[in-house]
Amino acid sequence: MKSMTRVLPKLNGEAHWGVAILAIIILLGVLVPLLSPFNPIRSAGDTFITPGMPHLFGTDQLGRDVFTRTFAAAQLDITLAVLGVAFPLVIGTFMGGVLGTTRNPVVSGAWLIIIDAINAFPFLAIVIGVVAMVGSGVQGLLIALAAVNWARYAKIARARALQLRDADFIHATQVLGYSRVQVLTRHILPNVYSESLAYGLSDFVIVIIAIAGLSFLGVGVRPPEAEWGAMISDGRPFLRQAWWITVFPGLTLSLTAIGVALLAQGLTNRSRGED
Amino acid sequence: MSTHQMAKLPSRSRFDAVAFGMGIIQNRIVSRLLRSLLVGFGVMTIAFFLLRLVPGDPVQLLLGDTGTPELVEAYRQMLGLDGTLPEQYLRYLGSVMQGDLGTSINSSVSVNTIIARSLPVTLWLIAVTIVLALALALPLSIAAAIYQRTWFGHTFRVASSILLATPVFYSGLLLLLLFAIQLKVAPVAGYRTTFPTNLNYLWLPALVLCGVMVPITARVLQSSVIDTLDQEFVETAVVRGLGRLTFTWRYLLRPSLAPTISLLGYMIGQLLSAAVVVELVFNLPGIGTSLIVEGVLLRDYPVVQGIVLVFGMIVVIVSFLSDLVSGWLDPRTQT
Repeated sequence: MKSMTRVLPKLNGEAHWGVAILAIIILLGVLVPLLSPFNPIRSAGDTFITPGMPHLFGTDQLGRDVFTRTFAAAQLDITLAVLGVAFPLVIGTFMGGVLGTTRNPVVSGAWLIIIDAINAFPFLAIVIGVVAMVGSGVQGLLIALAAVNWARYAKIARARALQLRDADFIHATQVLGYSRVQVLTRHILPNVYSESLAYGLSDFVIVIIAIAGLSFLGVGVRPPEAEWGAMISDGRPFLRQAWWITVFPGLTLSLTAIGVALLAQGLTNRSRGED
Repeated sequence: MSTHQMAKLPSRSRFDAVAFGMGIIQNRIVSRLLRSLLVGFGVMTIAFFLLRLVPGDPVQLLLGDTGTPELVEAYRQMLGLDGTLPEQYLRYLGSVMQGDLGTSINSSVSVNTIIARSLPVTLWLIAVTIVLALALALPLSIAAAIYQRTWFGHTFRVASSILLATPVFYSGLLLLLLFAIQLKVAPVAGYRTTFPTNLNYLWLPALVLCGVMVPITARVLQSSVIDTLDQEFVETAVVRGLGRLTFTWRYLLRPSLAPTISLLGYMIGQLLSAAVVVELVFNLPGIGTSLIVEGVLLRDYPVVQGIVLVFGMIVVIVSFLSDLVSGWLDPRTQT
């Protein structure tokens, strides 16, 4: 945690761009739905109006304002992606910490096989598989992401915990007679977290694209909710005559993902000592 | 293997040395195989429990209140939900080992038939993508390694980040708009199974998949080429004044290929994920389309279960093979 805060104020060029892009999208995501005269899920007049005033991004096949919808979707997609990273990060890091410190080879061996097996599946395919079973919608999406993605964090956290297990300060806690729970929560997990957070940033890119992808395929967020993937899917039959229904939400989604990717890369370069 | 054993080698006969080497290789293959079998077993277990994630009773969910007791029983059997959990598990493992992936609820066709029909399309798509991606990634990665500290290396890094952050369903639709609708140089949708004709339907989706494949491959290759450039034999080759082609292939690329090949399993996983989406964008009748259209959207649990299992197994098998090949290419990875 400390290393993250120490790094943040001194970002390099790429990371600056990332922060700038994200700040603009988040700001618009907060302001546009508040200030817009149009409702994101109700018709605002004629269908297929070309971009201009007052409809900056035009209107869609139901006459809804694409500009308002795009930034209402920003709120939903970014929130979902943050949760879609946070749940598996917490669960996986904890599991990895426990598995890295346990001395029982049978338990850790069995869990390792499960973790490797989950990671063996193509990410999107297994998430789709879980969604198909637990049901689509926001809740199903988050359950599926947590059920699949924790395994990646567990793998990372376990590797780090294994290194820590033999560190001097951990040996010291044993000499001092700390309980295993105390060692795990106060000494192992706080040291494992920074690694998970660093991976979480690049994982955010994968997760936000997966959320939009599942909604694009019709197995994620359900219409009429404004969501980037669902909007792109909406605009697909009208690609020829009304490109703006597809292009603007897609552009905003890509920019968000690029913003986070640049930030993640800037931080990685920074920690490797190159600019 | 200890240094002590290594030191002994030259004094022994050549036969012994060969046998010694074979021993390492065999141990390596056996341990990798064991690991892959365990993970494959884990993959089957997860596919089994997938169906148990359905909240409540799947049969009730499928039939509603309309099911007669006989129909409920028939469905229970079809889904493998009769008997106790350990019984169900052993029966599932047994039938999967025999290559039986169950029967579709909606069409009563066996899941094997669905996969046999759709998997070849996906494999073709992946093959075309790999050929195209290598043609693009090889020269790019070498240039990016040599000119790492110049504008080219910097652009390469940023461009690959941007490509990886662009969702394939978006880039797919944009390329479809450009090449199929505006320029009319590619078909908008559809597929023909015969060989040279299918390339006409595959090149554009493969190009979209390259947006995923090229950045991943080129990045890994770039960093291994950078490592290779530091080697003394490269300097020697430069001093000897070798021809450009010989130098690039024998001294730069070949020693750098092992890390890329050992990542092949991971890459195939990424590629399969992206292929699911791209197949739907381009209406290709591949396994991803089957998974969504015949499986998820129709709530056909056995189809979903079977296809997800096949996805996992493909990655496990490819990872095993790529491990073997990279060990053979570069003995240093043998541990």
